[in-house]
Amino acid sequence: MILGMGIWVFIAWIGTILSAVLCLLYGVYHWVMKPDEKKSSEVKNKQSKKGG
Amino acid sequence: MDIIFFIIFMALFTGMFSIIGFFGYKKTKTAEDYFVAGRKMGSIVIAFSYGATFISAVALIGFSGIASLYGHALLWLALLNILVGILIAFVVYGFRTRKMGLSLKAVTLPEMLGNRFNSTRLQATSGLIIAIFMIAYTSAVFLAISSLFVVTFGIPYEICVVIFTVVVGIYLIVGGLYAVMWTHAIQGALMVVGMLILTVGIYGMLGGVGPAHEAAADMTPIELGVPLGIGTASNPWNFSTGTLAIDKVSNFNHDAAGFLIDTINPLDGQINVDVDQNIIIHFSNKTAPNTKQVSDRFKYTCSPDPGGWTEEWNENYTQATLSHNDFQSGKTYTFEVTDAISGLGSPAGALAPSGLTSMPPMPSPPFLMLLTLIFGVGIGVLAQPQLVVRYLSAKSEKALKKAIPYGGIFILLMTFTAFSIGPLCNVLMAENGLFYPGTPDRVVPLVIEEVFPPWFVFLFLFAVLSAAMSTASALFHTAGASIGRDVYEKGMKKKGSEKKSLKITRVATLGIVIATLIISLNPPDVVAIMTAFFFGLMAVTFLAPYTLMLYWKKTSKAGAWAGMLGGFIFTMFWYVLIYFKTAPQIIGSSMIDNYMVNMLDPIFIGLPVSFVLTYIFSILMKQDKDEQKLMKKSFENI
Repeated sequence: MILGMGIWVFIAWIGTILSAVLCLLYGVYHWVMKPDEKKSSEVKNKQSKKGG
Repeated sequence: MDIIFFIIFMALFTGMFSIIGFFGYKKTKTAEDYFVAGRKMGSIVIAFSYGATFISAVALIGFSGIASLYGHALLWLALLNILVGILIAFVVYGFRTRKMGLSLKAVTLPEMLGNRFNSTRLQATSGLIIAIFMIAYTSAVFLAISSLFVVTFGIPYEICVVIFTVVVGIYLIVGGLYAVMWTHAIQGALMVVGMLILTVGIYGMLGGVGPAHEAAADMTPIELGVPLGIGTASNPWNFSTGTLAIDKVSNFNHDAAGFLIDTINPLDGQINVDVDQNIIIHFSNKTAPNTKQVSDRFKYTCSPDPGGWTEEWNENYTQATLSHNDFQSGKTYTFEVTDAISGLGSPAGALAPSGLTSMPPMPSPPFLMLLTLIFGVGIGVLAQPQLVVRYLSAKSEKALKKAIPYGGIFILLMTFTAFSIGPLCNVLMAENGLFYPGTPDRVVPLVIEEVFPPWFVFLFLFAVLSAAMSTASALFHTAGASIGRDVYEKGMKKKGSEKKSLKITRVATLGIVIATLIISLNPPDVVAIMTAFFFGLMAVTFLAPYTLMLYWKKTSKAGAWAGMLGGFIFTMFWYVLIYFKTAPQIIGSSMIDNYMVNMLDPIFIGLPVSFVLTYIFSILMKQDKDEQKLMKKSFENI
């Protein structure tokens, strides 16, 4: 028993928290590490609108 | 007083959402504005709207109730909700869907399919499937939330249904997706606050994470609800206030898994019993009686009946002392325990055989039930048409990427908390002497009513109402778009100007709202089981053509038709003839009497079948030239 939970339930419990952390890290990565992406994405968006 | 609070809260809700609806109306100039909020939505609104659409009242109340029965093993679903429902959904499906939707100028999932495969019939058929089943699913959402308000506030069911449907209908039809998504942000915030307070409150009452889980783990199946038996003691038994008592009438042994009435007083056959002697019954195990409802859990008869019975329990709830009016002297009495239940009276004793914080043994029926729930809903989320619209409304790929952390945290605060507190409700029920309320949906509301202050009961109810409204508004919007855009305009080739298109969709949405209202007021039995199969049906019908459309350039119109219709027909057959939850309600019993088969969600078989059909038919009946052109166009941004 870990924190009152069986091992498989604990894996689900900690896995859920870690998945949320992973989502958070994904966001941080795209905020901090790739701030220039917004520009290129918007340009692409405009181009596709014109083209379509 | 309750009614006054209800009126005040509803007036606030209506006022606030009407204002948002008005602003949405001002912003809605084109059909694209109405369908996908002009493709201008930012990350926070997308995340909240996606989450609030995904998490309905059924997820908050229904699934936390299911967790109270199956235990913390349901946390695997919370894991999939974040990992698959957010991360994989956005990264694998969201980005491409948005890009392809832009290239194909599509505003709904059916329109993406129709434009990609050059088939208005495909678009109209998928739109029709979506609209029909969404009406039933939305009715199920209103049915659930209205029933909750009926119990809490005592308001007639019909009034609740009319109020909720009209409020959602007004801001949706007027304000389009702008209003829907902005209200989702507010409703999502209310849901977060409600679930946070609830979770912190429950863990706080039970002494923190570890102690709370240990308390849940310590609850034995007997404490949870295995029926009480009558063991070594005689039942019924006789005693006499005179000098003669007849022999004992029976020595009834009940198979009770060790939870027994083991001693009685006066004893069977005892004579010269005092006229004022109390009847004392000792149980071999701790019971969890509710002092308010003690007569419901322990019934008995005494013949002849002296009357004036009162019950008193010892501190450990192992002994009941029954006092009464004086017996008559010189008489023989027969006393019988006629009904007794142990623990909470909850099915959790049987459904969580390894305890509330451990996985049930594999492959027991509870294990398969969990498996089907976890994968049915966990994977099914990937092809929900109402969620696909959220990707299409994003202003940029960056907005979708930035929505992922908000979405992950939002789902963590919804399903992770709901599935964590569900099993803990059993501990609080035992500590507060509460019984299982009969259905899992009532477990969390019961605990909240009993152990939280009244202000939180209101807050939580309106958080649940927010969850219901947000899901319902998204479903109305998608179903309205399916009928107006996909079926009427494209399927019947009635395309007109932007203004006309907008008008048609508003009228179609109004039609959907009215149809839902009529069904909700007189719900057929099938509506109640819609929540069980809506996710599965949508996933098996659309996931294969949708996935292959995004990732495999050779997917053809024939493949899409085969995958979609094959998946749809298979799922309908499975639910009607085989699935253990739905088949008994539709045809009386499942055609396969083996739980290893009939407990499986159709997603396990139907999804691979749908993928194989899409692939094989795409190989056999290749794309024509028009399809190839559209395929190239759809991939030009990817």
